[in-house]
Amino acid sequence: MLSFIAFSLRRAWHGFWRNAVMSIAATATMVLMLVLLSTFFVVLSGLNAGLQFVEQKVEVVAELRDDAPDLKVVQLQQDIAALPEVASVEYIDKPTALAQFKQRMAQQGREDLTQFLDSNPLPATLNIKLKDPHQFGTVVQTLRARTDVVATVEEVQNLVDRVLTITNLLRTGGLILLGLVGLTVLFIIVNTIRLAVVARAEEIEIMRLVGASDAFIRWPFIFEGALVGLLGALITLVLLALGAAPLSNLMTRFFEILPLELGSLSRNLAVLVLATGIGLGTIGSWVSVRSYLLK
Amino acid sequence: MASPNAAPPRAAARSLRDQPAAHLIAETPDEQAILVLHDVTKTYPNGKTALRDVDLVIPEGDFVFLVGASGAGKSTLIKLIIRDEIATRGAVMLDGQDVARLNRRDVPRIRRKIGIIFQDFKLLPTKTVQENVGFALEVTGTPHRQIAPAVARVLSLVGLSAQASQLPSQLSGGEQQRTAIARALVHDPRLIIADEPTGNLDPLISWEIIQLLSRINELGVTVLMATHNAEIVTALRRRVVALEDGRITRDELGAAYHRED
Repeated sequence: MLSFIAFSLRRAWHGFWRNAVMSIAATATMVLMLVLLSTFFVVLSGLNAGLQFVEQKVEVVAELRDDAPDLKVVQLQQDIAALPEVASVEYIDKPTALAQFKQRMAQQGREDLTQFLDSNPLPATLNIKLKDPHQFGTVVQTLRARTDVVATVEEVQNLVDRVLTITNLLRTGGLILLGLVGLTVLFIIVNTIRLAVVARAEEIEIMRLVGASDAFIRWPFIFEGALVGLLGALITLVLLALGAAPLSNLMTRFFEILPLELGSLSRNLAVLVLATGIGLGTIGSWVSVRSYLLK
Repeated sequence: MASPNAAPPRAAARSLRDQPAAHLIAETPDEQAILVLHDVTKTYPNGKTALRDVDLVIPEGDFVFLVGASGAGKSTLIKLIIRDEIATRGAVMLDGQDVARLNRRDVPRIRRKIGIIFQDFKLLPTKTVQENVGFALEVTGTPHRQIAPAVARVLSLVGLSAQASQLPSQLSGGEQQRTAIARALVHDPRLIIADEPTGNLDPLISWEIIQLLSRINELGVTVLMATHNAEIVTALRRRVVALEDGRITRDELGAAYHRED
C-alpha cells in the first residue's frame, strides 16, 4: 500500500513535469479561477455583513409634530406597540433627542453648535423596532394615517432593500460566472490529463499486459490532477497573502462599522481555495482517466 | 451447410466437435491443460469473424507453434487468451478459469500468469534494461526490496546481466528481445505467448531467441509462439497448429511449417 502510494506520487510528479507547458497552463487557469472565487467570496462576505448590520439597525422612525398633545402620543405609542410586527416602541422626547444629538457630535469630535440655538429644533420621535425588518408596511401606514401626531416617517427600509438587491444580484451573477469559469477549469484539467494519458499510452499498454491493476494505472493521473489543483491553490493563497495588506487596509476602512471578523474570514477562504483547487483537479482527472480506461 | 433447415444439423455438428475436446482433456489427466479453447468463435462489432469454432488444448509444458497467414486469426486468438477481447461464443479456459467470466478486477491477476513477447519488443525507451524488467513488478505492487533480486535472476537467465544499466537504444535487436523475454518471465508465468518474436530479427539472432525460448520451455513454462518463420518451425519439429481463415486446419505433433502430405 505504501509502495503503491509512493509509486503513484512519483509518477504523478514526473507526469506533471513531462508535460510541463500544459501542466503550467492548467495551473495558471486554476489560479485565475481561484482568485476570482476568492474575490467573490470576500465581496459577498462584506455585503452579507453589511446587510446584517443594516438589518440590525432597522427601525421605523416617526418624527412627531411639536404641537401633538401628550395624550395622543401615548395613545399612538400603545396602538403601535399592539401591532403584531412590532418588537418595541421607544419614545424620545425633544430634550432627549437634543441630548443624543450633542453626544453624537461630541463622539465624532465636532463642535457643538446647538448652544447657539435659542430653541430645540429636533422633533420628538417614536423609534419602532420591528420583529422582521421586512414587515414594515402596516406600521408605516398606521403612522402615516395619524397626521395629527406624526409629521414624517423616515424610510430606513429603502436602504435594506437596496443592499439586499445588490447582494442578490452579485450572488447570482457571481455564481453563474464562477460556474462558467469552474467548468472551463474542469475542461482544461480533463484535457491536460487526457494528454498526459495519451503521452503514456505505450506505458499503460505495457502495464496492462504485465497485469497491473487499474488502480496502478489510474491513481498516478488522479494525483497529477490533484497536484495541479494543489499547486494552483497554493499560488492563489500566496497571491492573496501578498495582496492582503493593502486590501485589508481598504477593507477595514470600508467595513469599519461592520461586524466582520477578518481572522475567520481568511481561514474560511484558505479552506475554500484549497478544497476547490484539489477538488476540481481530482474530479477532472478522474473523469479523464475513467473514460480512457473503460475502453 | 447448404441445407435449408440448417439449425438441427449445425447443433449436431457442434456436439460432435465437443467430444474430441472433452476426450483430449480426459486423455491428459496428469498434465493439467494450461489452456483450453472450446468451440470459440469471435466476431468483431464490424461483422468480421476472425475465429470460427476453434478447439485447442495446450497441456502444461507444451511448446506450440501457431502458424498461418496474416489475418488468419492468430492475433485474435492471442487477444482472447489475454482477455484483451472476449469470445463471441465458446469458452477460453486459462489454468482452469474461464477468462470471459472473470471480473474486470480479476483480469490483471490472470495476466500475471502469462508472459507476453511482441515483435516490436514494447520496451520503454527512457528506462534501462533492469528498470524495464522491474517495471512489470513495480506496477503489480511487488514490495520494493523483492524487485532487485527477481530482476537480477531473470536477467542472468536471458544472459543480459552485463547490460542491466543500458538503455534499449544502446542494445542490439536480439538483446532488446531478450530484455522483453526477461520482463515476461519476471512474474514466473505459467504460459509464455510470443507473437512473432523473431519478426524484426535477422536469422542468426532469431535462432538465439528460439533457443532461449526452448530453454525456458525446458524449465517447465508452456510456450505458445505465433510465427511466420517457416525455417525455424520446420527445423524444431514441435507441435504445429495452423490457422486458416479463422479455423484450425491442422494440429500436428512434430510437424513442419507446411503440410507434408
